[in-house]
Amino acid sequence: METVFSQYAWAIPTIPLLAFLVLTALGRQIKGAASLLGLLSSLAALVLSVLVLTERWSPDAEVYSHSIDWVNLGEVTLRVGYELTNLNVLMLIVVTIVSTLVNLYAKGYMEGDDRQHVFFAYIALFTSSMLGLVVSPNLLQLYMFWELVGACSFLLIGFWYDRPAARAAAKKAFIVTRIGDVGLLIAILLLFWQMPDHSLDFSVIQTVFQSGDSLAQHGITAGIATWIASLIFIGAMGKSGQFPLHTWLPDAMEGPTPISALIHAATMVAAGVYLVARTFSIFHVSPTAMAIVAGIGGFTAIFAATIGLAQRDIKRILAYSTVSQLGYMMMALGLGAVTAGVFHLFTHAFFKALLFLGAGSVIHAVHTQDIFQMGGLGRKMKVTTWTFAIGAMALSGIPPFSGFWSKDAILAAAWEQDHKLLFVIGVLAAFFTAFYMARLFFVAFTGKPADDQIYQQAHESPSSMTIPLVVLAVLALIAGFVYTPFNGQFGIWLTGEPAEDHANVLVMIISVAAGVCGVLLGYVLYRPGQSQRVDKLEQAAAPLFRVLERKYYIDELYNWLIVRPLRVIGKGLDIIDRYVVDGLVRFISAFVDGWGRTSTRVQNGQLQTYGIVSLFGFVALVLLMLALGRGFW
Amino acid sequence: MVGQISSIPWLSLLTFSPLLGVLILLLIPKERVFAIRTIGIVTTFISLIIAVVIYAGYDASKQGNTLLEKFDWISIPLNLDVAKGIQSWTLDIPYHLALDGLSLPLVVMTTIVAAMSALASVSIRKRQKTYFILLLLLEVGMLGVFMARDLFLFFAFFEWTLVPTFFLIGIWGLANRERAANHFLLYNGLGSALMFVAFAILVATAGFDQITDTSGAVKFVYSGDLYTIVNHLQSSGAAANLGHSPFFLSEGWRMGTFVLLLIAFGIKLPLFPFHTWMLKVHAEAPTPVVMLHSGVLLKMGAYGLIQFGMVLLPQQLADWATVLAVLGIINILYGAILAFVQTEFRLVLAYSSISHMGFVLFGIAAMNEIGLQGAVMQMVSHGFISALFFLLVGSLSERTGTTRLDELGGLAKRIPFISALLLIAGLASLGLPGLSGFPAELFSLLGLYGNLPWAATIGAFGVILSAVYVLRGVLAITFGPIAAHHQQLKDARLVEAVPAIVLTACIVLIGLFPSLVTAPVEYGVSHIIDMFKVGG
Repeated sequence: METVFSQYAWAIPTIPLLAFLVLTALGRQIKGAASLLGLLSSLAALVLSVLVLTERWSPDAEVYSHSIDWVNLGEVTLRVGYELTNLNVLMLIVVTIVSTLVNLYAKGYMEGDDRQHVFFAYIALFTSSMLGLVVSPNLLQLYMFWELVGACSFLLIGFWYDRPAARAAAKKAFIVTRIGDVGLLIAILLLFWQMPDHSLDFSVIQTVFQSGDSLAQHGITAGIATWIASLIFIGAMGKSGQFPLHTWLPDAMEGPTPISALIHAATMVAAGVYLVARTFSIFHVSPTAMAIVAGIGGFTAIFAATIGLAQRDIKRILAYSTVSQLGYMMMALGLGAVTAGVFHLFTHAFFKALLFLGAGSVIHAVHTQDIFQMGGLGRKMKVTTWTFAIGAMALSGIPPFSGFWSKDAILAAAWEQDHKLLFVIGVLAAFFTAFYMARLFFVAFTGKPADDQIYQQAHESPSSMTIPLVVLAVLALIAGFVYTPFNGQFGIWLTGEPAEDHANVLVMIISVAAGVCGVLLGYVLYRPGQSQRVDKLEQAAAPLFRVLERKYYIDELYNWLIVRPLRVIGKGLDIIDRYVVDGLVRFISAFVDGWGRTSTRVQNGQLQTYGIVSLFGFVALVLLMLALGRGFW
Repeated sequence: MVGQISSIPWLSLLTFSPLLGVLILLLIPKERVFAIRTIGIVTTFISLIIAVVIYAGYDASKQGNTLLEKFDWISIPLNLDVAKGIQSWTLDIPYHLALDGLSLPLVVMTTIVAAMSALASVSIRKRQKTYFILLLLLEVGMLGVFMARDLFLFFAFFEWTLVPTFFLIGIWGLANRERAANHFLLYNGLGSALMFVAFAILVATAGFDQITDTSGAVKFVYSGDLYTIVNHLQSSGAAANLGHSPFFLSEGWRMGTFVLLLIAFGIKLPLFPFHTWMLKVHAEAPTPVVMLHSGVLLKMGAYGLIQFGMVLLPQQLADWATVLAVLGIINILYGAILAFVQTEFRLVLAYSSISHMGFVLFGIAAMNEIGLQGAVMQMVSHGFISALFFLLVGSLSERTGTTRLDELGGLAKRIPFISALLLIAGLASLGLPGLSGFPAELFSLLGLYGNLPWAATIGAFGVILSAVYVLRGVLAITFGPIAAHHQQLKDARLVEAVPAIVLTACIVLIGLFPSLVTAPVEYGVSHIIDMFKVGG
């Protein structure tokens, strides 16, 4: 097939980068036009991505790859460039759609903020980095953009830098994801020295790791493959908020809400899932690594879902939901169901971005994030409420919304592999998810207003904010039809392998039942028309609720186990450095000083002293010569 | 090591170009502050231009492309018995400068940082004439160190730098300046003494040469010429079986010499536990001097270790690679943990320098091209980053009177430009891709992983810690609520903004295009790496 647009794919990340540069240089001057520039750059990237997609309809479209030399290291040349596979292009579409909508939305949301141009510059830089990450042809380039998206995330979480909470959250996000990044970095070091010709290209990785034979041929043992896969997964865990590196993601909600939608729901946090999918051949040869991925993913899915039950902050509920859904995706990958995992990434991007933007619309109107201070918003914010309901149903796995199809695909994979534990976890997590979304929806949008003052100021958001909501609601509704149990084309297109028939009626029934039961239970407990100032769940099981509300005390645990010991060690070493290590310097200076003073005292101008010194000196010399057994000259 | 001798003595011009400014400054009355500043700054830019011209003309693709200048300088007749047929017996100190791929990036970096430091020196408020004269003299010493190819000449330049630095700290520093200057001089003097002993051993053995001139007369010469000594050491190893040849330096002596060099250069680097002297310099010296000190002077240690330790005694270095890697780990982790608990931002940066120099040790311990390219990259990168950091620290303390973390906060609101650059310097320091710190640390780690995987793995954790201490330090200053008495602060003036932008541009440029540094280095170090390959 003729590739006209694919060869210009390098422009997809470059256009937002240019927007970033212009906004950084001229931001102050163009101020109002900043949002327009951001929007146009994302839109241009979207259009180009769609054009590229049209060239890749056929499942056997060839991988388009182009790269140039970056740096020569000894006999090794590191290269940078771009590569288009069907998976990459799917990601391009997701990123550019959400980025475009978020840019539009942010125009309304950030109205009046006098650092708007900085905000849009950061978004443009993020979009560019995320697109660069997606098209990377090798692991090293991916790592570079991986770090850059992390830095953008950091900048945007700390956008309102004068708030101490934002400062703490930004710092935490950077450091916790860095822990994961070191795993990925070590994986790169290991791969670099294991791979033929030190190649880090994904295509070469795929060739080398395609089977046990090819591995043996290149002298890579199964143990090393497991190590590489596990280390890569540690990197993915950090980015995608998998337990135990999840703690940064809920705190990241300190950032402006459009950012939460773009970075911390739809795109960057999914990069971990994308990474595992991209390097899947490495995981595939190691059953241990697959079990780790599935196990961590499944645990995170249920773990975060339970925390979501007890949060009052609308954004934090959604954040834990994101952690939980990312766990789902990882679980799917660990089960070998790449298509299902990536499919869930795809649908989740839309409905979770929708939910966050909806939450942002609410926060914009009522200036509180506590759902128990809201109530009855449905009467005043029609568009927000309806679109939010669609997003909530998609997330809860209610057919025919998109979340149902992707969640069902994952559960079907667990079922077919006869992985009972993960299947039960998946169903339970789906139930919890439906329940906390029902709780959120009924408490915030229906019933009597909890606070009249807050209710008074509630109003529907401007059209720049509601249009993205509507578009995303449509996507949340239809995105699922890309890959239904009755149409497996998407699987063939994405992975090149024939899709397994995952039309399992029993699984579908269980899946729907879990979602419906969750919603019903939520309705029963939090239905409109009753006093909403108390949390029914809290009344029912206060001690358990407390544990969930405090997120299983994980933050406290890290504080006691890591942060404080590090500080104590640091303080201890500081004292040693000051008094012991520096003692050496002081000793030397004191010695020189003392020597100088003593010698000064000897040179006191008295002939007797000089005579004595000369005599001693002479005797010493004579003794020395005799001892050496040599004559005088 | 084939060099080319140009008709114009570019290297001498470059090295001694600052002296021109010194001469003019001597003639200007000290009251004419503006003229003094202008002359001082313009002079550093002359050196910068010469360095850039040389860099632009350097063809990295030509193996061993080296600019060379050499002529007889001092010849001391030795009072030894002259046997028949031997005309003379002398100690020769040739004037020998060379610029190879290893020195070139460091020389360019030195001239850039020196020029920016001169610009930053407009903040100096007293005795400007003496100050700029000393600053220019310091630049001569630094440039000489990176180009000298004779042991004595190197030693002389190395010592040369101590004197102006001593006065610059002692006269223009903060409250405890005299004490800091004293410690600096004594401790570095100790290092120099050890270096001198090591050099003396080398000259007395491997420096010996027998020259027969055209008339058949034989001259015995002790020479400090680096290439002579390298050749003799290479051909007189244990394998060469030269027994009692005067060139002979037994394994034990070689090891001893190597350890002396390691300590001598380790003090400068600085290597744990010889680092505490530089904390005082960072804390007390005027910020333009710290820019040079942290940016350039510390690099002399690492440079010496490569150009002398590694080139002269490759086998010993190979034997001690593990030790170097362990020392690197200690530097990285120890520096990072201590940087994390400091409350004075200058000390955060000082310990961060210790941590970053650990990666240079990693690159050396790697004993391959990647590692050495990473080591030099890290030296250049850290030179720019710490110069930028201390430039900004100078701007901060000029405005707020403090650089203590607990007394600052929220400055991004009032001085967004300075705060933004502080954040960029921080991100570069913690190794964000696109900025210079990333390729430097990456290449060092990649290189070391090929030799000592476990050490590289442990060292990689320094990457987490650097994020911890950098963000803690930088965000404490720029993020959070702003104190009421800082509400009136004014952002950077033009004279502060220019060097900050130039340094930032350098950080971005070599971050995006690391081959600007690594390409010359590759050819500058290939002969060093070849020695390891031959030696097995």
